[in-house]
Amino acid sequence: MQTSEFKKGSAVKYNGETYLISDFQFVNPGKGSAFTRTKLKNIKTGKVIEVTFKSGESVEDADLQYKKCNYMYNDGVDYYFMDNKTYDQFSISKDLIGDYADLMVENSEITVVCVDGSPCSIQLPPKLDFKVISAPPGEKGDTATGAVKPVVIETGATINAPLFVKEGDVIRVNTETHEYVERVQQK
Amino acid sequence: MDNNNLVIRTKVIRAVRDFFWRNGFIEVDTPCLVKIPGMEPHLNPFKAIGIGNDNGYLITSPEYAMKRLLCAGWKKIFQITRSFRSGEIGPTHNPEFAILEWYRANADYKDIMKDTENLIFDVAKRVFGRVKFTYQGREVNLRPPFERLSVIDAFEKYAGIRRRVLENEKLLRFAAIKKGYNITKNMDYSDVFFLIFLNEIERNLGAPRPTILYDYPISMAALSRPKSDNPKYAERFELYIAGLELANAFSELSDPDEQRARFINEQKLRRRLKKEVYPIDEKFISALEYGMPESGGIALGIDRLVMFFTDAREISDVMFFSYNQL
Repeated sequence: MQTSEFKKGSAVKYNGETYLISDFQFVNPGKGSAFTRTKLKNIKTGKVIEVTFKSGESVEDADLQYKKCNYMYNDGVDYYFMDNKTYDQFSISKDLIGDYADLMVENSEITVVCVDGSPCSIQLPPKLDFKVISAPPGEKGDTATGAVKPVVIETGATINAPLFVKEGDVIRVNTETHEYVERVQQK
Repeated sequence: MDNNNLVIRTKVIRAVRDFFWRNGFIEVDTPCLVKIPGMEPHLNPFKAIGIGNDNGYLITSPEYAMKRLLCAGWKKIFQITRSFRSGEIGPTHNPEFAILEWYRANADYKDIMKDTENLIFDVAKRVFGRVKFTYQGREVNLRPPFERLSVIDAFEKYAGIRRRVLENEKLLRFAAIKKGYNITKNMDYSDVFFLIFLNEIERNLGAPRPTILYDYPISMAALSRPKSDNPKYAERFELYIAGLELANAFSELSDPDEQRARFINEQKLRRRLKKEVYPIDEKFISALEYGMPESGGIALGIDRLVMFFTDAREISDVMFFSYNQL
């Protein structure tokens, strides 16, 4: 694929190894043509390397398969899943799951990404709803726009949310940035 | 957007202005809307349509106008203005950005290096009362002198590329291929140069002291003049702080014939890149013919300077409204 087709989560081959693109941006070095800087995550080791390509350059892509799985639990090192079709159980290391790790709800359906049949990552929708399990009361008088406080959601992750968010609320979170999006009206 | 960052932004801008006023520079304000934009092949100016029967353009930098002022006899000038570059949007780019430029007549890039370190040190002291900062986990001490590193030494030190190789396009291509880069026929010398630079060198620059990276190969001279004792290199430098590219400076090219030759080359390159080809700015050339003193000049990104001071990851964190927030 060409650098212009890069997407977060697409897979490329680089120096004989397969990587997932975890981030990319355009750079214009002073008075030079455009380049694309990427963060590539090795699908076997989880190690992230930074590689810069000339924009327009072609990079060999790798095929990805997606399968729906049930996320069961984790032991702090590995995350355990069951394939919803075959009932096979398998694990993915925390290093490979990366930033998504603290946004996974146990016993929920999650898309697992595989390269050449071996599970290497997971995919979450761009936005997900979570129940707030703990929220400190907002300080009175502090109504300036943009004021936030840390709240804890059902997965144990801490998210910065506006002062009006209370325990028991459901909030929508951007899974990429871990940022609060909005409070969800409950029926 | 972050209120605290924005307060710092206004303080930094005011401190920058104060620094130049205190040091005898005159603040100028040249137009943002011009008839002929910068010719730089890798920059894309915005076209402003409907000015009578003509099209205008938004500046990509105020350099042509400021150099015309040098030709007209102005000695020390500066301005903070807006520049516009199409297609540049990302964590460190916004299509509209605040640019600081200053020029000194009867000076060269070495004088500008000194101005640069004095300016940044002075702003840090006056706005924050300290000179040690952390940017994205890297500690930087802004006390002058900043590190001065030549491009030749940077390639040797961080990429293991010897001067002899750097100066020879064939050898450099071969070295890059050996390192595992995918070097194709349509890549030119500067593409190979920047592939190695961006992958192996840039991240090492600018900490624990800011780095002044100087003396670029002449093919990357842009609007700078060749070194008098070694015309293979141009008197140009870039400033890096904690990996952020902050400024680009020249001993300014003042020879009108050489300037015209470079414009013609840039026109050719623009044509080859299938970009709009602009006419040569004859008013600028005739100002050089009238006579420009030996001068040094620089462009510094104000938004990125504020990013550094506020430890902001993205340019949108330090702008009142970035393009994507509109």
